[in-house]
Amino acid sequence: MTKIFTHDDLIRYVYEETEPEENRQIKLALNEDMELLDQYHELLWLKKQMDGGMMNPSEKTINTILEYSKAVNLHPVKED
Amino acid sequence: MNNQKTMLEDSKLVSQYINGNEVAFEELVNRHKSRIFTTIYMIVKDQYVAEDLMQEVFIKAIRTLKSGRYNEEGKFLPWILRIAHNLAIDKFRKNKRYPTIVMDDGNSVFETLEFAEGTFEDIQMKKDVHKSLRKLIQELPEAQKQVLIMRHYMDMSFKEISDQTGVSINTALGRMRYALINLRKKMQQYNIAYDQNFYS
Repeated sequence: MTKIFTHDDLIRYVYEETEPEENRQIKLALNEDMELLDQYHELLWLKKQMDGGMMNPSEKTINTILEYSKAVNLHPVKED
Repeated sequence: MNNQKTMLEDSKLVSQYINGNEVAFEELVNRHKSRIFTTIYMIVKDQYVAEDLMQEVFIKAIRTLKSGRYNEEGKFLPWILRIAHNLAIDKFRKNKRYPTIVMDDGNSVFETLEFAEGTFEDIQMKKDVHKSLRKLIQELPEAQKQVLIMRHYMDMSFKEISDQTGVSINTALGRMRYALINLRKKMQQYNIAYDQNFYS
């Protein structure tokens, strides 16, 4: 019999926090439960949208950071 | 050119940087700039403030790395994301009392987004969805938004979120569930397209 999975289980699965045995069982459940499959697709879609919506800082900001890094020298004390 | 096989681990880049290799630092910055910047932006909601904070975060990181105070046990990305999160939260709390006035000499908040190649319509549609989505995330109840940012943008596990926010893993997971359900509902409410082609 296929185990019943909740929305929380799916969230953990989508964010790769499930154990290998759980992964196997969730995959089985997704093959049999269309509602669960729909929920899974929705979660994947949302995740993808959030990934796609990542923003970038301006080049000016990045250049300022890189220039700062080159200019600063703090002489760290090294222990061998 | 980087790929999975040749891409150096963050920890190696950090070591190289500490030993004076600025190119290694540039690689680290380019590798993680989007995630760090988006995390900051999601909290402060203003591109100009986010740009300033991005610099502050890296100045702090550079000074820690170059002074030899960096703890090798920690991973670079979670470490710098924590710095970003803390600075952004501080700024957000201050700005709540003193709202920032956006200057008119910069680009639009959304002009710096990177999108996959496609037709003009595809790109525009994705732009619209992403823009709306970020706006809707801002409308979520604070606890839900916090977990969503920590899990999705900061890549913290539910266990780490639970430890940091002082709630159980189940509560963190529940907040994430409500955040995602609410987000989906809001998107439906505003007729934001759910297009299966986005999987491609």
